[in-house]
Amino acid sequence: MPSPRFPIPQGTLDMLILQILSLEPAHGYGIAQRLEQISRSVVQVNQGSLYPALHRLEQKGWLRAEWKQSETGREAKFYSLTPAGRRQLTIEKESWARLSGAINLIFEEGSR
Amino acid sequence: MTQLFNWFRRGALERGLDRELQYHFDRRVADLTAAGIPEPEAHRRVTAELGLTQVREEVRDVWLTRWFRDFVYDLRFSARSFLRSPGFTAATLLSLALGIGATTAIYSLVDQVILHALPVRDPARLVLVDWKGDQAVGGFGSWNIMSYPMCRDLQQQTRFFDGVLCRAEIQVNLSAGGDPKPVAAEIVSGSYFSVLGIGPALGRVIEEADDAAPGAGPVIVLSHDFWRAEFGGAADIVGRKLLINQHPMTVVGVAPAAFHGVDVGAVPDFWIPASMYAEAFPGAEDAKDLLRRPTRWMQILARLRPDLTPAQAQVDLQPWFKSWLQDNMHRPGFPMITADRRRDYLASTLDLTSAPQGHSSLRRRLSQPLWVLFAATGVLLGLACLNVAGLFLARGSARGREIGTRLALGASRGRIGRQLLADSILLAMAGGILGVAVAPLAIRALLAFLPQDLAASALRATLSFPLLAFAFLVSFAAGLLSGLAPALHAGGGSLVSSLRERAGTGFGSIRLRKCIVTLQVSFSLILVIVAALFVRTLTGLLAKGPGFETTGILSFAIAPVQSGYSLAEAARLVRRLHEEVRALPGTRDSATARWAFLTGGSWNNAMTIQADRRIVTDDVNLNAVSPGFFSTLGIRILAGRDFDARDSRPPGEVGRRSAIVNEAFVKRYLAGRDSLGLHIGQGSGPDAKPDVVIVGVCADFNYRGLRDNSAQAFFPMFEGDDAGATFYVKVRGAPEQAIPSIRRLVRQADPRLPILWFRTLDDQVNRSLTTECLLAALSASFGALALLLSLIGLYGVMSFVVTRRTREIGIRLALGATGASAIRLVLRDAVTMIAVGMAIALPCVAVLGRLVQSQLFGVTATDPATVAAAALVLAAGALGAAFIPAWRASNVNPTDALRLE
Repeated sequence: MPSPRFPIPQGTLDMLILQILSLEPAHGYGIAQRLEQISRSVVQVNQGSLYPALHRLEQKGWLRAEWKQSETGREAKFYSLTPAGRRQLTIEKESWARLSGAINLIFEEGSR
Repeated sequence: MTQLFNWFRRGALERGLDRELQYHFDRRVADLTAAGIPEPEAHRRVTAELGLTQVREEVRDVWLTRWFRDFVYDLRFSARSFLRSPGFTAATLLSLALGIGATTAIYSLVDQVILHALPVRDPARLVLVDWKGDQAVGGFGSWNIMSYPMCRDLQQQTRFFDGVLCRAEIQVNLSAGGDPKPVAAEIVSGSYFSVLGIGPALGRVIEEADDAAPGAGPVIVLSHDFWRAEFGGAADIVGRKLLINQHPMTVVGVAPAAFHGVDVGAVPDFWIPASMYAEAFPGAEDAKDLLRRPTRWMQILARLRPDLTPAQAQVDLQPWFKSWLQDNMHRPGFPMITADRRRDYLASTLDLTSAPQGHSSLRRRLSQPLWVLFAATGVLLGLACLNVAGLFLARGSARGREIGTRLALGASRGRIGRQLLADSILLAMAGGILGVAVAPLAIRALLAFLPQDLAASALRATLSFPLLAFAFLVSFAAGLLSGLAPALHAGGGSLVSSLRERAGTGFGSIRLRKCIVTLQVSFSLILVIVAALFVRTLTGLLAKGPGFETTGILSFAIAPVQSGYSLAEAARLVRRLHEEVRALPGTRDSATARWAFLTGGSWNNAMTIQADRRIVTDDVNLNAVSPGFFSTLGIRILAGRDFDARDSRPPGEVGRRSAIVNEAFVKRYLAGRDSLGLHIGQGSGPDAKPDVVIVGVCADFNYRGLRDNSAQAFFPMFEGDDAGATFYVKVRGAPEQAIPSIRRLVRQADPRLPILWFRTLDDQVNRSLTTECLLAALSASFGALALLLSLIGLYGVMSFVVTRRTREIGIRLALGATGASAIRLVLRDAVTMIAVGMAIALPCVAVLGRLVQSQLFGVTATDPATVAAAALVLAAGALGAAFIPAWRASNVNPTDALRLE
């Protein structure tokens, strides 16, 4: 089934996860849903690829995980941002802003 | 690191991931069914969406990189397959454990004696200051000895040095309440501890003020070990008074536990400032006014400024040294020298060598033998690796079908090669662990070759971190080496042919195995030749002997001046003991000498001979002996007479009037002519007075060690200048039985006088040959091991050849060939390998031989008889090993052989 949405650019998934978790701790399914909402019509995230990314970020020390009761009453693994993760998010936001700014500039240059 | 951690908790990680994914799955299914999708359909859709298997794999890749996981699986697979073939595993493990254990043991000594940097602040900046040229002045001590004033003057050279220290090893009598006993100490400049950057563990260390003037610092600093052993680690040790050579001194501190002085071979029990030289060397005539005279007796170590290299500093220091040489000549005690010597003296230079390991005469003596042995273990380890490689190739052949099948199922050749490498690395690591486990035993056995007092105090059989790192590296390298050939081999070769071949024959690895065996033959020939050379050296030295009788002779030594005696009192005591020992019922004969023989050291001085002209000799080995010394030890008097009452001066007069020289002295300096009646005197300058008459010439015998052939001169004892004495007592029956009665005699004479040592002369000879014993015993065992390994290798490959050619040989036999021709066929192969191996080894021996020549005695490194004998032993053994499979080949039953197909 071909999707009208384009796949998420490489490397931005980590940034999106950090961004979502910067608002509040969430479990994997919650993050998946949030991603779905935020980007409903724009990007497509493979649900499965979320978990390798979460474990990678946890290993890097940017995320902390703990098992807590979820809203349905079952135990779920909640991820939250560590201070290092928060710093990382700032860095990634800045570099993203610089990159997109630069690309915009080039496009404007071209359209003029 | 995290990876390793993750490996150990991978069960918990897996369970967590399962729960996490299950939660996601259930929530998603619940959401979908809530949205009206039937449950089976929801299940199907979520399964597709998540791709659980792949997600699991990807997450596992996050925990542990793929490479690491595969490697661990390889290792597990290897371990399982090793457990299935215990014979093979035991053979390879044993080879590797022997090789790695031997290398590790020798390395432990190399590390302790040669490589280990002192545990001081920034040892890399320490340099040893040494004199190159003629120092003109006399001295005492071992190597690199310099004067105390020189150290003081170097301390002024702050452009080059951040500090300069000097030190010497001494032996003194120490009593802490009980009986005095001889202990080792280090006499040091006040700068010693501060230059090394060593602080106290307790109290304080020796400081500049302690060394300001003669007698200024009657203080000592105890070593941590001595404090523990002797005083039970008493907390109130600081301030206690001890008697050093009967002089009271105060303990001011304890050194840190890790610090054992700057000489690995001479571990001091305490340190004493140089200002106390008079108390440290009581009665020694050459130890007067040491702080001002240019007498040589201490090693100088300096801390270089951080911005300088030793080479630079050495060059820049020379102008200062030139003017210093001039000044030094005006110091009190500088000898009168001839114009020639003066020129040599003024042409001297100063040498700075990097000395992070400090100074050590032990290192000087042992470093070459140790490197030789280390190289030998390296060769042995190489042999063991070759053996393992050969065994792996054989196993690879047996596993040819398995590997072929795996290749056919899609395994890459790299993957298979890696598997084989994992095999060998796992095996080598296991061998390494075994090797490390046996290494302490091997080190202890090694230390047994060294004199006990040294082995006990200075060298340890413990495993240190560098040692473990070394063993690990060696094991790893051995694994790589022995696994590489088989692994590469598995990479090549045609898949189809390997599948088509019958089990048991497999890859055509025979040529590679033959190369390996050839190399093994050459390696082991090298080791066998080296072993033969060292064994011949030892037996040659033992057969030659020291030139005097050794059986049934007991020796012991006393040093009365260290117990507070004056020289005259000491001489009286020695004389009295000498007469009492002679009167003992068990004594057949007895004599004394001032200095002990065969200890490696000697009293030296240049001599002036008054013949038709004045002749100045090089350093001559001197000693003073009692009348009857030569006959007691069975040394012939070739001309003239032994000392007797005529040689004694009247009471009250001190000095010597007659001398006996040895044959070498006469040959070297008097061209063999009649020397009786000539006058000689100590010293080489114009002020030397030849006033001692030669009354006899004795046969040559060894003074310092069994290898020396020095010129010697002897003076009579009991002339009032005997600081100490060594007694040589010829005993009826076993020498040891005389010890209690002698001990009683000495106790009666002075209950507080310690006997420095009791030793039979046979034991003394053996002690002087420790290095030779070490080399001979170890190289012989390495040679035997090497021979064994290579014979096993040869036997293995020949058996393999015969198995492969069973059919061919069967056909030949069926066609009428004789059993003898079958034997020839197989042996021809073996002979080629042996011959090529020898051809490789012999030039290597010629090159290596030059390196060990200085360790040999009575035999050259390329001695034809030795080389031929070693080659013969190897050839005989190798042919024997090859003959068994050959003989089996000749007995092949043609019908059986043909039926094999």
